[in-house]
Amino acid sequence: MIPSFKHPTRMPRRGVPTTEPCASGQSGRDGWLSRPLPLAAALLVLLPACGEKDTPGLVERPLSVSEKNFRLVDSSMERFRYTARPAASAGTESGSATPRGLVYDTPEGWTEKPGAAMRDVNFTFGEKGEGECYVARLPGTGGGLAANVNRWRAQMGAAPLSDEEVAALPTRPLFGQPARFVAVDGTFSPGMGSSETFPGYRLVGLILAADAGAVFVKMTGPKEVVEKNGAAFDQFVSSLDVKSN
Amino acid sequence: MAKHPIDWSPKNWPRLLYGFFTSFKLATVVLVFMTVVTLLGTLGQVEHGLHSAKEKYFHSFFFTEKIFGVPVLLPGGLLLMILLFTNMVLGALVKVRKRWKGAGLLISHLGMLMLLAGGFVTWAFSTDGYMAMYPGMTSDRVESYREWQLEIVPLSPEGEAEKAWIYPAKLLETMRPDEQRVIHAESLPFDVVINGFSKNATPVPVSAPIAASVTGKEIDGFKLSPQKASKEAEQNLPGCFLEIRPRDGGDPVEAILWAGSYKFDPREKAMPFTFPVGDQLYGALLVKKSWTVPFSVRLDEFIFERHPGVSTARNYESRVTRFEEGQSDKALEIKMNEPMRHAGYTFFQESFGPSGSQPGDEMYSQFAVANNPADQWPLWSLVVTGVGLGVHFVIMLVNFTVRSRQRRSSPPVAP
Repeated sequence: MIPSFKHPTRMPRRGVPTTEPCASGQSGRDGWLSRPLPLAAALLVLLPACGEKDTPGLVERPLSVSEKNFRLVDSSMERFRYTARPAASAGTESGSATPRGLVYDTPEGWTEKPGAAMRDVNFTFGEKGEGECYVARLPGTGGGLAANVNRWRAQMGAAPLSDEEVAALPTRPLFGQPARFVAVDGTFSPGMGSSETFPGYRLVGLILAADAGAVFVKMTGPKEVVEKNGAAFDQFVSSLDVKSN
Repeated sequence: MAKHPIDWSPKNWPRLLYGFFTSFKLATVVLVFMTVVTLLGTLGQVEHGLHSAKEKYFHSFFFTEKIFGVPVLLPGGLLLMILLFTNMVLGALVKVRKRWKGAGLLISHLGMLMLLAGGFVTWAFSTDGYMAMYPGMTSDRVESYREWQLEIVPLSPEGEAEKAWIYPAKLLETMRPDEQRVIHAESLPFDVVINGFSKNATPVPVSAPIAASVTGKEIDGFKLSPQKASKEAEQNLPGCFLEIRPRDGGDPVEAILWAGSYKFDPREKAMPFTFPVGDQLYGALLVKKSWTVPFSVRLDEFIFERHPGVSTARNYESRVTRFEEGQSDKALEIKMNEPMRHAGYTFFQESFGPSGSQPGDEMYSQFAVANNPADQWPLWSLVVTGVGLGVHFVIMLVNFTVRSRQRRSSPPVAP
């Protein structure tokens, strides 16, 4: 199971409790004449939505009991099922759970930092804290696997990969599912408003684009520091789990 | 013998067309193309997924396929079926010489025509959807797996609505991403403008790094990131930009709509984008296309058994009561291979939820609801074809026997 952020699965399922008789203006058996016929549809669309008449095809109908109730929400954040994420408290104890429902072991020598925007778990490591590792989650595919792999590669000054090359990337388990493993060396440009660059860096990361959302685990730092913390990264990733209650 | 030149004059066109549609050559070419299309469609499922492959290869008049890197225009399954049906009706039923000897072949051709007609009826009139409910819930509403429509609802402050204006799925799904459509309803005090429709999309917060690569408007801290359509069409969650233009001259309102705001559990409520116009609160959202069946079903009990020690399902079945006007209530069981068939509808035990539920959690049952007026036609067409071939075999056997006897009994002819 991967951690959920109250995003629906991509296999929508829904039930419809109603005892009302059919009040629908629509029918499942709407016949072959109402199949998407591109030409007819184009003609309908080309007709101007002008003057006094309703747009062709628009249906006004009463709602049945199961359709009548809606949840009113204040923001797009809620409407798009992003839960509010309180900042993580620094120094979470090893093996403890974050307020966001994740449990993990903090590797030795890593320091947990407060969660930043879009980051659920945030660590630094290295003598001067020059290495960084974080976990982020997004709903849906989080913008797509290839787009995110190539965004990471662009941050390291590397050429983008084709869809086939992305699909051929090695996988490693993350939350029990195969996540694509990315490793790139180069000059790191973090972006996000910063024009600073860091030559001689390495980026190591995992991207899991699953039905219930996308999860990113990304580690960056000077190449030798990242290499030294490779085992710690693996240990952290394998310890990541969802809080069961 | 010298061939007569073909008369291409317009008055001879009907004869030429009749000759073309009744020819064996046409039947042969169509059958060869059907083999090719079936092969491509079967292989295409790997790349496109089942639904998309069906639409591209079998529900189309033409499609293009790259063969050795070269795009080739090929006839689609729909066109081939129509051609074969026409060819068989004209060639095998109308043109063919009617005699007792050919009765068996005539019957078997009728059977094949029934099969083709059944395919058309299935394509044109069948529906499939699902109904999900927790124990105690009653429903007569079936929802589409794949089709989404735009709904505008006038809302009470508590979030209740009595009616809706619906922009149907059949029109919405024909929208291109760069297209803009204005919806006008005389009974609404505003016009609705849809643009940037994407069949599969994800809203991305602008604070997310990936948002930098997403073009398009930022509204309320989000951008809409179009995604490649999923191989499994039911997994696509469409999104679009919406603009509300009050006709009283008020300021327009913009929003991103995303199918993920809909309800995905029988107990959830959909979350519309809300906006006031005058004194009335309205909501706009993308919802699944739905329809009703002519009876209601109440889920009385959902029996779900897991394999010991793991959460994998071992068996699940539903005990339901069917309510229908003018008929007594009927208690039934719907199991994995024992669907409920009634009034032309078939309820299959399909699935369960919510996903990730643990032992002890309350679960809902999901039925696949299919309605296909021709679901038994393939069986009957095979019976008719089989009978036709049997009759033909008997006629040929009798004919052969009679001829053989005649040959044996006839006196030898002197050289």
